[in-house]
Amino acid sequence: MSEGESTDRWEPIRIVGRWTVHARTHLTVLIIVIVAESIGTIEFPIGPGTVVLLPLLFAVVIGIAISYSVLGTYIEPLRRVVSKDVSVLSSPLLVIALMPLGVKYGTQVGPSFERLIESGGAFVLQELGNLGTIFLALPLALFLGLKREAIGSAVSIAREPTLGVITDKYGIESPEGRGVLGTYLTGTVLGTIFFGLLGGFATATGLDPRALAMACGMGSASMMTACAASLSTAVESIPRDQILSFAATSNLLTGITGLYIVLFVGLPLINYLYRVLAPRIQGSGSEADLAEGGDE
Amino acid sequence: MELTTRQFSQNTLIMLLVIGTITLIGNWVGYGISPVEAAPGMALIVVIGVVSLLLGRFVPLELPSFAYAMVIAFLLSLPYSPVQATILSLTEPVNFLATTTPILAYAGLSVGSQVTQMRKVSWKLVVVAVFVFFGTFFGSALVAQAVMSIQGSL
Repeated sequence: MSEGESTDRWEPIRIVGRWTVHARTHLTVLIIVIVAESIGTIEFPIGPGTVVLLPLLFAVVIGIAISYSVLGTYIEPLRRVVSKDVSVLSSPLLVIALMPLGVKYGTQVGPSFERLIESGGAFVLQELGNLGTIFLALPLALFLGLKREAIGSAVSIAREPTLGVITDKYGIESPEGRGVLGTYLTGTVLGTIFFGLLGGFATATGLDPRALAMACGMGSASMMTACAASLSTAVESIPRDQILSFAATSNLLTGITGLYIVLFVGLPLINYLYRVLAPRIQGSGSEADLAEGGDE
Repeated sequence: MELTTRQFSQNTLIMLLVIGTITLIGNWVGYGISPVEAAPGMALIVVIGVVSLLLGRFVPLELPSFAYAMVIAFLLSLPYSPVQATILSLTEPVNFLATTTPILAYAGLSVGSQVTQMRKVSWKLVVVAVFVFFGTFFGSALVAQAVMSIQGSL
């Protein structure tokens, strides 16, 4: 969301005069990393699937837990060390911390490039599969009694490009804006945990691991990584490198095409379905809201 | 206050060195790979990282720096690349999972302010979001599965 603001989103990384915030932030991360890596990978079967708990999952859970707005609210000394400044600084640092991972993905995709080309059609078309959310989540949103919030919340997984499109088209204060913000925030706070668990468990569906790997790429590098790392740990039939390269490639494609799919396919489709489904699910009371959707 | 290009490059370089060091320690604790063995690969990663962050900031393509890092490493490690073997042997000791843990630690810490906002989101939107996750994931997986079985590549 910071793109839209006039101040530089990189401003917090300035080191001069900010030594102590930097020291607290990096030392906190170092401790989290050491704890998470010492726990290591925990893997156990539940029913037909596998639950994979990776160090990255422990890292995100510990990180959220000790932040100023969670445990810091109750523990004063913790709040002084892991302060709001630490959270603010961590946001641009997350972007920098993605560089080693980006390079690792690149080195996994490069050597298996020819194998990826063979699956080229699947890569392109599965991008449209992301629209599956509309068919599943829109009816549910309507059953729950949501009105135009349903449009924003169910149109896509709502990473930054979608947030931008909806804000641009309807405004962030509109019902659509509230909806998209709900999905965005839920994804930011719970997404990596959710997909970290789903990635391992999804093997229970019997779908091909490569198809699941492509599904992991949905426009967020950290969610994709949680998903693909768990999936590749749970799967034995296909090498880890291949799963990761399928996921990373799909994620890159989503990053490039996602905005346009939401704008030109997702939004018209969900507005059409809303007009068809809302009166059937919610009765005629929703007609007043339909007028608002007339501008698309 | 806007960072100048020089400040931006210097600060991100230092941050990459700090993050690289944290990653090497995690790489050692979790995967038993000595920091000395993995340091040359990390140095290469830091160089690609600075270039990618600069590209992300200045190229008006709206692509994230992460995408540049991935594409640069991808091009260098293609079978047609003269440096493929060097790149792969350098980055090999940096374990993939070890690079993910610091990212998620920073991500967890940065979520702080969003947790506060999240408390204001109605439970209905949270339930819908979970269905959005399922729908996006399985929508893609089913299409990919169908296309691959038509192509006969399964």
